[in-house]
Amino acid sequence: MSALPLLVQAFRQPQRLAGFTLVEWDLVLRQAAVANLTAGLCHLAEEAGLLGRIAPQAREHLTWARTVGERHRQAVRFEVGEIRRALAGLDVPLILLKGAAYTLASLPPAPGRLFSDIDILVPRERLAEVEAALMLHGWAASGHDAYDQRYYREWMHELPPMQHVKRQSMIDVHHAILPETAAARPDPALLRASAVAMAGQGDLRVLAPVDMVLHSAVHLFYDGEFDHGLRDLVDIHRLLGEFGKMPGFWDALPVRARALQLERPLFYALRYADMLLGTGSAANMDSAAGAAQLDRPNRPQLVLMDFLFRRALLPSHASCADAYTGIAHFLLYIRGNWLRMPFFLLARHLFHKAFISPKQAAG
Amino acid sequence: MWRLIHGQTLQQRRWGDETVLYNDLSGDTHLLGETAICLLHALQVSAHDEAALVALVCARLQVGADDTAAHETALLLASLSELSLIERCAC
Amino acid sequence: MLTVASYSRAQLGARLAERGIHLQTGAFVTCVKSEVASVADGISLLYADYPVLEQAEFADFHISLHQAGGVRRWFRPQVRLDCDGISPFQPLPVAQAFPMFEWTLNWCVSSNAHRYLCIHAAVVEKNGYAVILPAPPGSGKSTLCAALVSKGWRLLSDELTLVRLGSGELVPLVRPISLKNASIDIIRRYAPSSVFSPVVDDTSKGSIAHLKAPADSVARAGQCARPAWVIFPKYAAGASAQLEPIAPARAFMRLAKNAFNYSLLGSAGFAALGDVIDASLSYEFTYSALDDAIDIFSRLTPPGQ
Repeated sequence: MSALPLLVQAFRQPQRLAGFTLVEWDLVLRQAAVANLTAGLCHLAEEAGLLGRIAPQAREHLTWARTVGERHRQAVRFEVGEIRRALAGLDVPLILLKGAAYTLASLPPAPGRLFSDIDILVPRERLAEVEAALMLHGWAASGHDAYDQRYYREWMHELPPMQHVKRQSMIDVHHAILPETAAARPDPALLRASAVAMAGQGDLRVLAPVDMVLHSAVHLFYDGEFDHGLRDLVDIHRLLGEFGKMPGFWDALPVRARALQLERPLFYALRYADMLLGTGSAANMDSAAGAAQLDRPNRPQLVLMDFLFRRALLPSHASCADAYTGIAHFLLYIRGNWLRMPFFLLARHLFHKAFISPKQAAG
Repeated sequence: MWRLIHGQTLQQRRWGDETVLYNDLSGDTHLLGETAICLLHALQVSAHDEAALVALVCARLQVGADDTAAHETALLLASLSELSLIERCAC
Repeated sequence: MLTVASYSRAQLGARLAERGIHLQTGAFVTCVKSEVASVADGISLLYADYPVLEQAEFADFHISLHQAGGVRRWFRPQVRLDCDGISPFQPLPVAQAFPMFEWTLNWCVSSNAHRYLCIHAAVVEKNGYAVILPAPPGSGKSTLCAALVSKGWRLLSDELTLVRLGSGELVPLVRPISLKNASIDIIRRYAPSSVFSPVVDDTSKGSIAHLKAPADSVARAGQCARPAWVIFPKYAAGASAQLEPIAPARAFMRLAKNAFNYSLLGSAGFAALGDVIDASLSYEFTYSALDDAIDIFSRLTPPGQ
């Protein structure tokens, strides 16, 4: 793996966009399409004041994607409003996570971000009420069999995804940010206690800045699938760029990671964001000092993780792959599931997914 | 009391006595008749209680205020609420 | 200017199999790669008049259709589609490779080109006025479109009406007209000089053949048009040709339902569609005999006259 793909280079150094040739645009737009980052690329160009200097044929594609990004933003705002109305009578503290949080809080990862589900965090003891209220307002459990229901409710950290019957929009209701079965147990009560309000958004909350970064890190580095790997890494890069300016942020981040048992994902987040996107210099991050305080993997483990993540975090496009990209994805898929549940449950889970669920779907 | 849902901008095009309406909050487009549009315009100005809206409908259709008018208005308001255009409030 | 006709069939086949060709269709350039013979045949026959960009550095879309490997190479051979790194469709029997190519070109535009309101409708033009013919599949839209085009109407598109946001111009996307089942023979008889691709049977839409667009329409692919009529066609056996006016607001809603990206475009889509309806007279059109339809269309009065 020598040079970084053009798309990664663009997010690393937006100024490069002005100098891309047509041939380079032809390639980078295809990389962006599979990475779901075309709208993000448009925003990058606009933010850097370069949209007018880009080849017209390429600018046309960025404009198309911007329209999609704006529609997503509109839809998320509306959905959040509908969710608030559905839950209004319950007096449940409602915390937005991930994309919905970035959009409602107008944070840097938001413009151009596309996503399919709204994620919210509620206290575990209020889950049943929240589910009932959502169902009353048109959300239904989306076609899952009894096994999936149990998978989500007993072992995972969320209700099975719910879909609105008329609008087809999806909502994921979480009570924690990692499953019950995972090795790390970040305490959701700590997250909820530190949640912050947003200007003009009433009683809606989002996670505190350090928690938002940690959630983004654990979401990416505990996962098994990396279709959105680069997009999630760009989110982390932009969050760090924004929050890194706040006094005390870099000191608070590793301390909080320790309290939430999330040091390892934070280590990976800082390492790979810097390695691929140059976050260190962009965010004024004292990566050496920050990373040194964290629980890091041993040398052979780190070599392996570098090998795997340096491939899996790239766009899933032929131009970004080498002979080992396939196996890297496979190993990380296993790792992602392993991190989320102990071995005996994992074996049973994979067996069920492979052999029983498809039959039930067909039958 | 009824009011327009907060935060939406409505755009419309009118041909004869039918109007198509775009709600930029929900992203939905609706085909509405005169009476529905009349109610929406009233609520765009301010919130109203249901009785006032019934009176408005009666004035528009030039009918007396009776149970039928009240029932029809209630149905219309329920439809507009279903479409996420208006909501009840305690204002 | 280089066109597909500049290549011999052998040269075209070789280019398509190796580095591909950059084919221009209206406002879009597509890089096409395929070693499948029927794809080269179809392009050679139906796209003869279309520009090919020799030294192209950029393509809007990149389509490759390749024969599936492994067991599928020999047993019920299939063709796989890759479109800018995405596979929007399942593999199909290799006999359906050329229809798959056509469907993919439509999909690329309707899924991505959000500079335009993209309506599932045919659009033809005469004397500066354009008719938009929206219709769900099976309503005879393509048959009617093919008949009109054979009688001198300029073809802008058989499948995708592109309304440029802001200006409201109808932007041509001239491509072969796709005909199904009985329509194929109907148009063969109605317009005997038509050039058809071979018929492909057993597709999800029945038997399909593609009709070559007139050279004049291809040559004028850069000329936009203004909408004057929105006509919803409905073929009904034995019916006499009849135009029934539709209330504009109803035509608006029906047209919105037929637009791929109406909802995505938000208020820009609402404005563009409103402008089309404002500029046009809207009708429901029932017919059975093509000659009657041609006659009625030739006597359409533009709005404001």
